[in-house]
Amino acid sequence: MKDLVISSKRLKKEILIIAICFIVASIINIISVIIYKTPWYEIFTQIGYVLVITLVIYFMVILIRAIVLLIKKMFVRKS
Amino acid sequence: MLNKKPKQVDTSLRQFIKDLGYISGGAALLATTPWLQSFTPDKAKEIKSEKARIGFIGTGSRGQYSIHAVLAIPHAEIIALCDNYAPNLQTASELCPKAKTYTDYRKMLESSDIDGVIISTPLYLHAPMTLDALAAGKHVYCEKAMALTMDQCKSVYDAYQNTDKVLYFCMQRMFDEKYIKGMQMIHSGLIGDIVGERCHWFRNNDWRRPLPSPALERQINWRLYREYSGGLMTELASHQLEVCCWAMQKVPESVIGVGDIVNWKDGREVYDSVNLVYRYNNGVKINYESLISNKFNGMEDQILGNKGTMNLATGIYCFEEEANVKKSGIEQLINQIGNKIYASVPAAGPSWRPETKEKFTPYNILEGEFQVNDGLSMVGALKDGSDEILSSFCQACITGEKGKNIVEEAYLATMLCHLGNQSISEQKKITFPEEYKIPYMKFS
Repeated sequence: MKDLVISSKRLKKEILIIAICFIVASIINIISVIIYKTPWYEIFTQIGYVLVITLVIYFMVILIRAIVLLIKKMFVRKS
Repeated sequence: MLNKKPKQVDTSLRQFIKDLGYISGGAALLATTPWLQSFTPDKAKEIKSEKARIGFIGTGSRGQYSIHAVLAIPHAEIIALCDNYAPNLQTASELCPKAKTYTDYRKMLESSDIDGVIISTPLYLHAPMTLDALAAGKHVYCEKAMALTMDQCKSVYDAYQNTDKVLYFCMQRMFDEKYIKGMQMIHSGLIGDIVGERCHWFRNNDWRRPLPSPALERQINWRLYREYSGGLMTELASHQLEVCCWAMQKVPESVIGVGDIVNWKDGREVYDSVNLVYRYNNGVKINYESLISNKFNGMEDQILGNKGTMNLATGIYCFEEEANVKKSGIEQLINQIGNKIYASVPAAGPSWRPETKEKFTPYNILEGEFQVNDGLSMVGALKDGSDEILSSFCQACITGEKGKNIVEEAYLATMLCHLGNQSISEQKKITFPEEYKIPYMKFS
């Protein structure tokens, strides 16, 4: 079986994307607390929801990146 | 089923009324429950060490339940027992060895030693026995419902108007602490204006008793035959309809209902499934349902207000504004997004979306632990007010003071049951007949 090699540059990029997703999910949580006037401690207690939303956003980003990559490849072949 | 050991019950009316908060808020309590006026702590002192001399007519399962309760009442003694079914009379006699036994209740009524009688017989015997006992100068306590027919109910009510004797019907919810406190809360406006009432009683049993001989089918399983019983309406709904009127402080003016024998097709004549809608003059309705082939929903008496709901049977209330308050901000956001997605389902139009029951914060009507009746027992539940109403009756046998509104509440509840049965059998809406209205009833 062939080893998969992930470069440190790629790894850093993915960690950065996940971190951005986590920040976005946290902002959604903060906005929810403000809109629904719920206690501020929910920023910590609802961390489970934040992590799930982080993953959902990350997979959406992966999907978008995959589509962009496919389109790019199509253009490269044509040219 | 029946517990043969004497129950350890608190039969002190003084304590009962103290527990209800009479001392701190007597006026409010008595406005909600005027029948307790005869049983204030001061009046309880009047009876001192006197004992009411009680005779039992009917010593079946419910009769024996009441015998156990009366044996625990310090101001009562059982001096006579009557039944035409020997095994029950024998069992009762073993519980009260000093009591004289009879097989004919008329003979028993001739005894001048008896102050009051407790009637626990099939429904069709309630009216004739009650009328005979009142005529014989006895105080009377009779199981619900009041009578088998509307005419009989009116006869009993009229007889009560012309006697100085005490008459009780076992509408035990009127003496159930959680119902009394719950009613105080309702009448103080806690749940806002009453906008609906929902009561149901579900069981899963055939309502039959074991027969020593097939010849005794009608005598023992009298509940199943129209000649003797009003079925689910008089046996179960009578309690709940009384509660609804008590909460609403008026009487429904009409009823429409349906009833069928859905499951227990064993030769019985009474319905095993009924659904009825009673309507008050302001449009508020009682939705009543009873089914004895599924027990999922149990027994509940729900009073629905525009600010909250009082579930008297479970002893719990909750507020409309607190629905879903326990959800976090992010959960509410997800819910809202979900609702918007469902709301745009093109097949059903924008107004459709699943509206599942919200979560409410429950509050107990009573502090501490309390008894909740699951509605499954065919004899009676512990701490459902039965002990207190029996104790009140025994006290009334000594003082001779009538219980305010007790007969009137039993009359209106029983009448509503019969009107419900009439609506079912005639398959049409029935309006409360003028000839059966009594001054106590408020329709508007």
